Amino acid sequence: MAGRGGGRGRRMMTFSVEAVGITRGDSLPPSIQQPTPLFPVMEQKPLPLTAGEEEEYLLALKQEFRGAMKSLPCFIQPTAAHRGQSSTHTHTHTHTQTSLTYTHTQTHTHFSFRFYYYYYYFTCFLCQTLQKKEEGQSSEDEEEEGEEKKKKQEEEEAEGEEEYDEEEFEEETDYVMSYFDNGEEFGGDSDDNMDEAIY
Amino acid sequence: MTAQEVRLCGLLLREHFGEVVEKVGTHLLKGGAQNLRTIIHETGISLDLVKKSLCVLVQHGACVFRSGRKGAGSPTEYQTCCDRILRILRYPRYIYTAKTLYGDTGELIIEELLQRGHMTMSGTIKTVADRLTQNMEEGRSMDYSEVSSAFFRLVETHFLQRCPPLAGAEPKDSATPAAPAPPGTPAAPVSTAPPTPESFPDCYKVPHVTLVGRGKRQLASEDGEDQRNAKKAKMDSQTHGDEGICWQVNFERFHLHFRDQAIISAVANKLDQTSSEIVRTMLRMSEVTTSPTATCTKPLSANEIFRSLPTSYNIPRPILDQYLTLLIDDPMEFVGKAGESGGGMYVVNMHRALANLARATLESVVQERFGSRSARIFRLLLRKRHLEQKQVEDFAMIPAKEAKDMLYTLLSQNLVQLQEIPKTPDYAPSRTFYLYTVNQLPTARMLLQNCYKTVANLVERRLFESKESKRLLEKSQRIEAILASLQASGAEPEQLTEVEEMITAPEKQQLEALRLHINKLDSAENQVDETIFLLESYINSTASTS
Repeated sequence: MAGRGGGRGRRMMTFSVEAVGITRGDSLPPSIQQPTPLFPVMEQKPLPLTAGEEEEYLLALKQEFRGAMKSLPCFIQPTAAHRGQSSTHTHTHTHTQTSLTYTHTQTHTHFSFRFYYYYYYFTCFLCQTLQKKEEGQSSEDEEEEGEEKKKKQEEEEAEGEEEYDEEEFEEETDYVMSYFDNGEEFGGDSDDNMDEAIY
Repeated sequence: MTAQEVRLCGLLLREHFGEVVEKVGTHLLKGGAQNLRTIIHETGISLDLVKKSLCVLVQHGACVFRSGRKGAGSPTEYQTCCDRILRILRYPRYIYTAKTLYGDTGELIIEELLQRGHMTMSGTIKTVADRLTQNMEEGRSMDYSEVSSAFFRLVETHFLQRCPPLAGAEPKDSATPAAPAPPGTPAAPVSTAPPTPESFPDCYKVPHVTLVGRGKRQLASEDGEDQRNAKKAKMDSQTHGDEGICWQVNFERFHLHFRDQAIISAVANKLDQTSSEIVRTMLRMSEVTTSPTATCTKPLSANEIFRSLPTSYNIPRPILDQYLTLLIDDPMEFVGKAGESGGGMYVVNMHRALANLARATLESVVQERFGSRSARIFRLLLRKRHLEQKQVEDFAMIPAKEAKDMLYTLLSQNLVQLQEIPKTPDYAPSRTFYLYTVNQLPTARMLLQNCYKTVANLVERRLFESKESKRLLEKSQRIEAILASLQASGAEPEQLTEVEEMITAPEKQQLEALRLHINKLDSAENQVDETIFLLESYINSTASTS
């Protein structure tokens, strides 16, 4: 009863009309019955594609080219990384270009620069040799010999990086973590001969 | 590098070289020249893959490297440019042109070089001979000398060129490989811009190559033959005297050819076949004497043209003069008169022809999107430069309300610009002239970006459609493989029909519809590329002269 105003209350909305800003006498926009279309309406339809022998031949050439490219060595699969392919594989398709071997040596200097960084710390070097011995033992357990080399290279790389992180950033100090060693691990092998005095 | 260009380049790299190269390539495009460590750090891809991707990009000419900008000793920097990657769209057209000019052999040579980027001459010839032998009948094979002669012809007409020897920063780069015909390596200093291949004197010199033999057919061989073939392959890896000299396709030469084709076909459409033959003769005569960026060809006398016309067109001399007069008077200004000696000196106006072709493209775009009356207004503004709204309505003979509507639509789409000319220092609207104008060059640039966006959308849609029906496509491929192997091993027809029935009828319909869609999208990409070529040529020619 309260909502029926007859001629007066014809426009009943769920919100207060004055608050929104629509004054009396203004025409409202038409009510929407479905969501707005995804694309604007096209007044003119586009022309059809030209179809002829030449266009078909060009189409066939394009599709064949795409297919052929997928089987060439230039098409790099992201899964190749996990198999740890050696860097010499990079240049199979470059044959004899001196330019790319130049690039190759250039990036090798990057590598050696990195290792220099590690050898700078003498204690680091010691840890590395100890870990390499461990690695050597564990890799003997692997079945395939071929994979050993590749994995070693990968692991060395990964372990080198790991070490780097561990050494520098574990506690955000400026000192290498081995600085804080109190020598407990050192000399642990000689516990068997107790009759010799330890100075 | 606009956002649309980078997006399109990314999609093209993904389709042709894989996602890793796409990531590295787009990173280089967006970031400018960077060294290896930056690339690895910012893309998060492993060193190995980044190195491989850079190799692929350099191999295909998309990336150049030079020593760092901070002086000697700083790491090498890599830089990619959009243009080379966008050429991938045009590869089918290059291959088809080689086929029309040099037959199947030429077609395969260009295709091999486009697939590999850079390749030595001997490598190309061997691969192409093998491919041709595959398609020939049993017992026949392709001789290397035939393929060599096709290669020579392609180099003679400059469709192929040597890869530029690298002006490396390190002196050890000059250690050329032991080859009897060493490439001409000038000791170029480290410059900011990479040298063009044409700046080297031996760009089009074919090295002396010892290559004797015939193409080999790939046979389905058993073990014994396998060993023999393997042994043969080892013996075949001999040197042929051209190690270190790699060849690449000369895109600029193809573009000149396309430009000439466009002008000739435009003349044929506007006038008639004979006029187009005359223009074709003129262009052929000036092929070697005109530089690629010239505004017009060197002047040719009417006598020379008459002598060089093809013998099938024996038109008498006065008729030729009449045709030439018609060509000069044509408003498209394809041919111009440069003097009176020798029966009249005539030139072909390249840049003006390109500008007219671009203008026709713009007008056609407006007509197809907004209707012929809007196109009339657009053409009017192109001719009359600046017009007021009232004048537009009068000249175009369109009622005022509709003309206003159309003008505002064109204005909102940025095809038409508004120029305000004030009568008083305060820009009072009642005392200011508002003139509508169309600037051809900026409008062409805008439409070119639209074209790039269009092609990128087409590629994405095609990838989407393939991805949606991936399961179905894989199933059909597996069934085809089974069918092929069954047929090779000689199965009965019942088995074949049984395998064929593994795909149901609605699935076949779906596959057919998918194939149709993908063909349409691919074909559309090819055709948009034709528009891209025209607009790019116009913009490059105008930008170089202005």
